[in-house]
Amino acid sequence: MNAKMAFYLMKRVLLAIVTIWIVITITFFVMHAVPGGPFMSEKAISKEAQAALEAKYGLDKPLWEQYTTYLQGILTQFDFGPSLKQRGRSVINVIMDGMKTSAKLGAIAAVSAAAVGIVLGAVAALRRNKLVDKTIMVITTAFVSMPSFIMGSFLLIVFSVQLRLLPANGSTSAGLILPVITLALYPMAYITRLTRSSMLDVLGQDYIRTARAKGVAGRNIIFGHALKNALIPVITYFGPMLAFILTGSMVVEQIFAVPGIGR
Amino acid sequence: MKKLLALVMTLAMLLSMTAFASAQSSLAVSLSSEPDTLDPALNSAVDGATMIVHLFSGLAAWTQDAEGKFVIAPDAAVELPEGVANEDGSVTYTYTLKDGLVWSDGQPLTAKDFEFAWKRAASTELGADYGYMFEIVKGYGTPDLAVSAKDDKTLEVTINNAASYWNELLAFPVYFPVREDVVGNEAWATDPSTYVGNGPYTMTGWEHNSVITLTKNANYHDADKVTMEELKFYLSDDSNNMLANFKNGTWLLIDDVPTSEIAALKTEYPNEFVIAGQLGTYYVNMNVNKNLLPADSTLTGVELEKANAEVRKALALLFDRNYVVNDIAQGGQTPASSFVAMGLTDADGTEFYQNAGHSEEFDGYYNVAEDAYEGNFEAAMEILKKYYTYDEATGMFTNFPTMEYLYNTSEGHKAIAEYLQSVFAGVGVGMNLTNQEWNTFLNTRKEGNYEVARNGWIGDYNDPISFLDMWTSGSGNNDVQFGKGAHAELAMYNLDLTPFGLETKVENGTWAETYDVLISAVKASTDNEARFAMMHLAEDMLMETGCLIPVYYYTDLYMISEKVDGFYSIPLGYKYFMYTTVAQ
Repeated sequence: MNAKMAFYLMKRVLLAIVTIWIVITITFFVMHAVPGGPFMSEKAISKEAQAALEAKYGLDKPLWEQYTTYLQGILTQFDFGPSLKQRGRSVINVIMDGMKTSAKLGAIAAVSAAAVGIVLGAVAALRRNKLVDKTIMVITTAFVSMPSFIMGSFLLIVFSVQLRLLPANGSTSAGLILPVITLALYPMAYITRLTRSSMLDVLGQDYIRTARAKGVAGRNIIFGHALKNALIPVITYFGPMLAFILTGSMVVEQIFAVPGIGR
Repeated sequence: MKKLLALVMTLAMLLSMTAFASAQSSLAVSLSSEPDTLDPALNSAVDGATMIVHLFSGLAAWTQDAEGKFVIAPDAAVELPEGVANEDGSVTYTYTLKDGLVWSDGQPLTAKDFEFAWKRAASTELGADYGYMFEIVKGYGTPDLAVSAKDDKTLEVTINNAASYWNELLAFPVYFPVREDVVGNEAWATDPSTYVGNGPYTMTGWEHNSVITLTKNANYHDADKVTMEELKFYLSDDSNNMLANFKNGTWLLIDDVPTSEIAALKTEYPNEFVIAGQLGTYYVNMNVNKNLLPADSTLTGVELEKANAEVRKALALLFDRNYVVNDIAQGGQTPASSFVAMGLTDADGTEFYQNAGHSEEFDGYYNVAEDAYEGNFEAAMEILKKYYTYDEATGMFTNFPTMEYLYNTSEGHKAIAEYLQSVFAGVGVGMNLTNQEWNTFLNTRKEGNYEVARNGWIGDYNDPISFLDMWTSGSGNNDVQFGKGAHAELAMYNLDLTPFGLETKVENGTWAETYDVLISAVKASTDNEARFAMMHLAEDMLMETGCLIPVYYYTDLYMISEKVDGFYSIPLGYKYFMYTTVAQ
């Protein structure tokens, strides 16, 4: 890593921190500007009780002081304060609980999407215009064009309500199977198509022909030369894919009652 | 291949065995999403209360008698004795606790724990939503709540006046005991390892947003009667998901169903789809301080308010409650003709709402029968024609000022708002719709910064006072703004309490001089019949203002598998699973 690279990385990290700080600040002040408050409820509590609660959570202090206390907590202890809704729990605790499940779901989905997608893509490219290729292309087109909430509901009805093979709620390990599939299908299909086209590109290159002419075994050509180079555009898709899985998991978590961050 | 087959077979056998075992001793249900708290003092949600009645045992509890009626029976107390009246009208009760009561961690439970728990729940510092449930106890609002442990087994409490619903309060979660050293840890109620109760079950697992597991508590004093070994409360906020889990047999009770599926479920699952009554009213409330008369009206003060009241009452007759119930809400609700909900009992044991209003022909204040709608509509139009210019050619009023209808963001509330809007628009009454997020909405409505707003109230116990005392001028739930702002000055209400042996007789008094006094009289009354008659009087006063427009009485919809036996649900919405058995 040279100096230029280090500088670039530092710039990105700093920018990220500044962005987060701006988001925190805007959220903080907007939430305080909204009328009502965390202790509003249909059954109104007395003014004294309201005041006591505000004092307890420091909401009676000047806004600026609350802001600095909040920032200080985040910076020094990564503490986002107590939850005002679920008494006795801290915000970070509530987030982490959901984050664990979401991360598990997302990681499994991402890995399986990549693994299955690359294999299918490579197979399709190698069997170009054969029945296998055509089947794979038709199926992936379907998956790419179907939004996850439709796919999720469809899988739910077929596999848990009709066939009763898999649970409909994501609170157990078996319950994660359907959400993972729902979440992975779109990126899997996308990766398949990407791998196929980039593989076809590479297979037509001169150096593949040279390798063949040299007498390199077919397997070595595919894995050593073709796939290696074909995967470069696929790898660049991993970034957007993670973002897709992160945002897409909100819908999926809702449909399958997965206890993740999306709920 | 053979090995694989053997493995699959073994797995299948194992799976079927666990399925067999769980059908016997464990019951999986889903009520709602993650509860905000399972601290009996802080909880204000119905699903939370259901879990708490399984985890704690108060002096009394709701049970079902031989005929299936819901009754209050002693639980931790040996019996529920009559109170002893004191000279000042207050009543003192002395309870004796059963022998050998222990907490789920084995420590002995004493009357001191009750004293501590009640004082804590009622305290300002805790700021519990339901703290006001202790309002009836002498000394509420001061540090000296009149409850004390005479010894380890005797609890003495003094309440301000006799109240027929006192025993019911003892079965309410906010009256359940907690132990001082347990709740000293603020996070005690969020983790099974620190959660100590005294009820039929102990909490053995809480995976946040996922599932709460309760296991039978061998230390519970009545453990022999508890038939279900384990309860699993799955936490889901998606009614479609709940339904999927019900349909595939994983969850045997679900407390929410998708509105769009209701009609189909009723026919598909006639025995498993249940519509139960609930003590609540969905209503529209009008701000008493907003003028509805045309801009050129010359009326002022009392005359103006009288005209407004008439207009508001006319608006209440313009729309068809049966349409709202059957085509919009679709949850088996009953069209409402009074503010105090269906299900609350009167002095003689009949339904309070049936005796409300002054009509021989129908219950409540309007006739909400399907065939009465046209007549109501005509009557309302006649009243409105007195105050507004009516264009015969178009059938519309031309100078009704446009109103603004406020509701909290939700598809259901929106659909009702749009229906009202369309009906009013049909006669030239313009109404714009505004929606706000829940907390903001509550604040706007409480502060009175609205004209018309949706509202709903679920009673906390079977006594009409829980619907009536919220409308006193000082109440925090007085969204209508009775006795506030300009309305505080209007001396136009009459109150005559002489028939009840009281000296109060007010003519042309303000809201504070009449309604507030009436509610105090109800609260101080020891004569049950007079008390209920006064509560009817209070509801008459409320309905006379036209500010409360009842739409329907709430229902509780749920689905329960036919395999479950021994389950019951009370009108407060609490569901009881401890005495259930599940058939194969």
